[in-house]
Amino acid sequence: MDVDVAINHYDTLVQHVFSHPKRWQGDGKFKATNLEEAMKATIRDAIGDSEAHLLEQDVDTCCRT
Amino acid sequence: MNAHNMDANIPVLFRSYESLEPHPNCKIWEAARATSAAPAFFKHIEIGRAQPYIDGGLGRNNPSRVVLDEAKRLFGARHIRCLVSIGTGRAETISIKKSGGFGQIVATDIFDTLKAITSDCEATHEAMLGLFSNLPETYFRLNVDQGMQGIDFSKWERLSNVEAHTTQYLRRAEVVDKVVSLANVIEIMKPQLTIEQLGAEEPHLSV
Repeated sequence: MDVDVAINHYDTLVQHVFSHPKRWQGDGKFKATNLEEAMKATIRDAIGDSEAHLLEQDVDTCCRT
Repeated sequence: MNAHNMDANIPVLFRSYESLEPHPNCKIWEAARATSAAPAFFKHIEIGRAQPYIDGGLGRNNPSRVVLDEAKRLFGARHIRCLVSIGTGRAETISIKKSGGFGQIVATDIFDTLKAITSDCEATHEAMLGLFSNLPETYFRLNVDQGMQGIDFSKWERLSNVEAHTTQYLRRAEVVDKVVSLANVIEIMKPQLTIEQLGAEEPHLSV
């Protein structure tokens, strides 16, 4: 993922996550589920599988940063 | 960080590479979620055998020390070139409104958390400066330290302002010099130091 694409994803992510603070804020001011959704969407766009594991089996396959 | 081990302040490293250290075999989004779980912002996440994780929090927001420890384990006596540290803005320049407008919704614990995070990062930076002081061109820290005053917590949608301040920062003569020498150090592939050269290691638990 290059820098411009990363910035675009960040833009989308913060909007999705920080637009609506939770009404009941006991365990955090923002909804963790929104954050998870946005993160999964970013990962899906970058490598195709939002449930991919972190540990890379073959380091040559792709760059996940 | 494992929420159960908060008092010990021992960070958990989520690695994308094989290591001798035991570590959770988790998904990418779980690792991202764990490292974002700052207590005032999001609830913790459970990974694997119901281990609750929260964001590294105080003492670990600038991971330079953690990275050096990991590099020592990985590379041992092999040479490295340099340490590059990129910050997200300085404590006194990121101003967050405490009252009025959105500030009434953003509780003071968020304000205090953000302030503590940034000052914590600077403390680690100062420690790194000391550690690398006798080794020129081995430690580079880039951090937009001016002009973020207008970007408060309610202005997340104004990322263009962040971009403008960052561009401004990168134009400053001393920053241009720093970036040029950093690019040179990386380009010439010159092994410059071993981790051992950095002298006495700080006790792992001290913050």
